[in-house]
Amino acid sequence: MNSPYTRCPVVTGIGVIAPNGSNTEAFWKATKEGISVVDMVTREGCEHLPLKVAGEVRDFDPTELIEERFLVQTDRFTHFAMAAANLALDDALLGRADYNRSPFAVGVVTAAGSGGGEFGQRELQHLWGQGSRHVGPYQSIAWFYAASTGQISIRGGFKGPCSVVASDEAGGLDALAHAGRTIRRGTDAVVVGAAEAPLAPYSVVCQLGYEDLSRCEEPGRAYRPFTDAACGFVPAEGGAMLVVEERDAAVDRGSRPRAVVAGHAATFTGAALWEASREGLARAIGSALADAGCAPEEVDVVFADALGVLAADRAEALALADALGPHATRVPVTAPKTGIGRAYCGAPVLDIAAAVLSMEGSVVPPTPNVVDVNVDLDVVTGKSRSADLQTALVLSRGLMGSNSALVLRRCEKSPS
Amino acid sequence: MTARLNLDELAALMKSAAGLTVDPEDMANRPEATFAEYGLDSLGLLGIVGELENRYGCSLPPDAERAKTPRDFLDLVNTDTVTTTGA
Repeated sequence: MNSPYTRCPVVTGIGVIAPNGSNTEAFWKATKEGISVVDMVTREGCEHLPLKVAGEVRDFDPTELIEERFLVQTDRFTHFAMAAANLALDDALLGRADYNRSPFAVGVVTAAGSGGGEFGQRELQHLWGQGSRHVGPYQSIAWFYAASTGQISIRGGFKGPCSVVASDEAGGLDALAHAGRTIRRGTDAVVVGAAEAPLAPYSVVCQLGYEDLSRCEEPGRAYRPFTDAACGFVPAEGGAMLVVEERDAAVDRGSRPRAVVAGHAATFTGAALWEASREGLARAIGSALADAGCAPEEVDVVFADALGVLAADRAEALALADALGPHATRVPVTAPKTGIGRAYCGAPVLDIAAAVLSMEGSVVPPTPNVVDVNVDLDVVTGKSRSADLQTALVLSRGLMGSNSALVLRRCEKSPS
Repeated sequence: MTARLNLDELAALMKSAAGLTVDPEDMANRPEATFAEYGLDSLGLLGIVGELENRYGCSLPPDAERAKTPRDFLDLVNTDTVTTTGA
């Protein structure tokens, strides 16, 4: 076995279930073209609530993708995660034949921000409507944050290290970092990511308390970070799962290393203290770059958190200036999530997927619905921009105060 | 009045409670086959027990949720206790 210092975690597979596409190809095409799909909320039971605009996953039929015995015991957030995991495994060409003899070499890590609200609401309605004898036993597992990790592990037969990261929205990045550490400690492959399903009545009502939630009723105007028109963020459902493998193990089995999970750091600065997030995010960026052995000038693209709240956007721009110096005003910054909304923990994993695809395609996708940027950053708006991209920095902050930064490096093209 | 549970009804419950498609004839022909072999886990069996208790309006024997095979389960459920008090 390689030493922990030479074992290198690389992304080999990407699976996306997002509002702008229920597979990676559709997601990337819409992302690259800057198509905005945030739209009026149509999910059953949500229409009358004061959240009017969101990013819904509409092109998704779980019964076509997931066996019935898993469907009856899982919430929509787990359906997304299981479907995305399958896409990622297919993309990585990682099948049962690869790990049948060593199931302990494959682990699962997911991040979760709210668990299974729709399933939980249904069973709680049974409880109060009909009595405790009418609550199904799968309630005991379906709405837990850990449900997606457990079901992906059971369904795939992955017996390696399994865990759940619950650290706010930024947990999506922290999950990747945890997968990287798991690889360095000796596991060959980790199925990692996050998907959320916050668009169900109970879940929406929980979010209505967030000051930073956009109440705007016009889809094109509801989520416009880095502008004077910023009025909060639009929530979304969906997310992404990735396959991360030890580079040599991936190459040995003929898989394609696509990006190195090179560096990460996380800080905490308290709920809704956006000015304080400047220092915390800057520290996370600086430490992630140090972890990756990466100079600020080497960052070729930034996937911003882009909350859409004036103070938060300003703090993010200043954090980039603090951490990257003069390079902060030169490096292209993008936030494709303005076209699909923020899928909580799923959002930064979708950004990781987009970052890997951006490096492979040498193109920075644009930030839909954003014009007249009011910060000193080179925000890519309108159309995508061609650029040679070797290093990507992905940022995420949670409403409760987590700040996280992840550095991805493009893998050299394999000699083929 | 007796409310005997048969394999057809058990198969229907395995479908509705646990999403499993099981042939009742297969269960009849292989009396030794366990619930686990059909893919039914302990929570799935608990769901079936709960559904029957609601249907009959009384508790099943405590061992019902620990039954290992469909045959054992039917034997436990179709006792006099259940059928008489449940009528």
